[in-house]
Amino acid sequence: MEADQIISWLQATLRWGGPLILVSIGEVFSERSGVINVGIEGIMLFGALTGVAISYFTGSVVWAVLVTILLGILLGSGFAYLTVSRRTNQVVTGLMVNLAALGGTNLLFALLPATRSERVTTFPVLFPESFHSIPVIGPVLFKQPVNTWIALILPFIAAWVLYRTTWGLNVRAVGDNPQAAATAGLRVVRLKYQAVILSGIFAALGGCALTLGEVGYFASGGMTAGRGFVVLAAVVVGGWDPVKIALACLVFGAADAAQLRMQTVGSDIPYQIFQMLPYLITVAALAGLVGRTKPPKTWGAPYDPADI
Amino acid sequence: MTNTKKLKEFINFPGLGDLALSGARPLFGVLLGLLAGAGLIALSGVNPLDAYKALLQGALGSPQSFSNVLVRASPLLLGGVGAAIGIKTGVWNIGTEGYMYAGAIAAGAVGLIPLPVPPIIHILLAFLAAMLFSGIWGLLAAYLRAYRGVNEVVTTIMMNYVAIYFVSWMVQEPQPMAEPGSFFPMSKMIAPTAKLPILMSGTSLHPGFIIGIAACILFFLVLRFTPFGFRTRMLGANPEAARYAGVNVKRQILFALLIGAVMGGVAGAFEIMGLKMRVYMDFVAGVGYEAVAVALLAGGNPLGVIASALFFSALKAGGATMSIQTGVGAPMTVVIEALCVIFVIAVGYGERKRLERLEKKGKEDEEVVQNGG
Repeated sequence: MEADQIISWLQATLRWGGPLILVSIGEVFSERSGVINVGIEGIMLFGALTGVAISYFTGSVVWAVLVTILLGILLGSGFAYLTVSRRTNQVVTGLMVNLAALGGTNLLFALLPATRSERVTTFPVLFPESFHSIPVIGPVLFKQPVNTWIALILPFIAAWVLYRTTWGLNVRAVGDNPQAAATAGLRVVRLKYQAVILSGIFAALGGCALTLGEVGYFASGGMTAGRGFVVLAAVVVGGWDPVKIALACLVFGAADAAQLRMQTVGSDIPYQIFQMLPYLITVAALAGLVGRTKPPKTWGAPYDPADI
Repeated sequence: MTNTKKLKEFINFPGLGDLALSGARPLFGVLLGLLAGAGLIALSGVNPLDAYKALLQGALGSPQSFSNVLVRASPLLLGGVGAAIGIKTGVWNIGTEGYMYAGAIAAGAVGLIPLPVPPIIHILLAFLAAMLFSGIWGLLAAYLRAYRGVNEVVTTIMMNYVAIYFVSWMVQEPQPMAEPGSFFPMSKMIAPTAKLPILMSGTSLHPGFIIGIAACILFFLVLRFTPFGFRTRMLGANPEAARYAGVNVKRQILFALLIGAVMGGVAGAFEIMGLKMRVYMDFVAGVGYEAVAVALLAGGNPLGVIASALFFSALKAGGATMSIQTGVGAPMTVVIEALCVIFVIAVGYGERKRLERLEKKGKEDEEVVQNGG
């Protein structure tokens, strides 16, 4: 591989890995509280469409982000209501959110024909042009839009919140032993709601980063293409630790970038191998073949306050 | 106390009890889902009654349109009943999408070989290959869940994606199955001897729905009248009690997940040999997940799967007509499907819990009465 090919591959790795990291930031809190939000794929789709639509109508990415956050709060609350308050099966609820989102975004997108032909305002690049010509890190890092930078910094903040703040400790306690947490006076249901809503916000933002980070358009028929599930995979492989998850997201982003390149350039190795990789690694990780990953103790289980 | 007792007797009444728990309750949820869908349709400026009328007409208006419903019902019945066995056992088999791909690629591979055998043999061989391969495909997640305690939900979903990309690889040049020079990745056409008969001329009605309905009835009888079925229901109702009663829990879970895998494979094989005649990249496109939703709507009851599969396929088949006649986009039917399932699981759970609480409370009341007396 030529040097400039490697550089453009690294650039694409961050570009595709960034949105995954954003989504994972919320998902890790949700799963740590015991709720697997499989609906992030669908929420991403809604976020992707909302970002494009608002950016198109207002011409402002700030408004796009704000409305996307609102949407994330809304969808996250809905998911929390169903899975935490109504104690529906989390996975089934998530799959239905995905199904509804696929249909819903297709319906809504049909109302926005203009965004098909016109590119909308996308996220700005932070660093001035002069930085872009710095060898290697210039194009790989400084040319990235602001959302990639945020994605690279957030995992450390998330780790700090999860391990060093009372709220983070409470979320972990709720996920590992909700009964004990409730006995100790924690408001389990409220904490779960907060964690799940966080996963809604970041899933929506991740979707928004997918469309407004680079391409500037929405494509109907599921443009997230299973990336929400890649994040679910990364959370498992990263052992429910924000920084390790971010690394897993980057590795999966690299695989994504590699297979996209192989599809366009053509290669002797089938590109599908790289598409399968995140999922195979996840199964291996869950099977205990790759390191030891330990899920939160009530991972995926409903919590009934009457069970004490 | 007497009220609770009456409720309990009603629930224990043969036949009626099942209806109350797995028949009437989902119907209520579906009704709410349809109402919510009507609200969305009204929001888009169309009279919901007109839209639903067009939908019904598109699904049931003519023998041709109803044959379309039955064609769409085939994978939902076959895949759905497999997922239903999982639900009854207490495991979540979300892998139907992947099993359909696995069954399809195996049936397609055997189907495209020109064998000098009568069609019935060729077709049976292709089905056998599909069941074998999807069974092996499902074995990994099933083994991990049964013997290593690995969460089956995540592994089955992950294996779905592995299957999608595996099939996409197999039907792309230079793989031997791939159609040379095609603009979209697809396999070669299957041999004429591997094609299933068409039951109604002028339509694409293949025997998949008959086998699907038969499978639902068969699994209903198995669950109800065989030791295997008894163990399954026991495990699903109370894992601890089942273990205590000497049920081999691990083997039971393994079999339940494998049944889902094999039935999903059969569903995929029917799609290829009855409808598509070749394997396309991404051809399942979510039908496997819908089959899981069908099983869920039925509460894992195989007979309920028949009803919910027909309901889903009627929605989908009627969606096109609704779109043409009223301008409501066809994706609306997918949204309605999702809403129905959400209402069924959200409403149903509360009702069931309340029932359990009532029973528990009733027992305590009885104890109080006994102690007091």
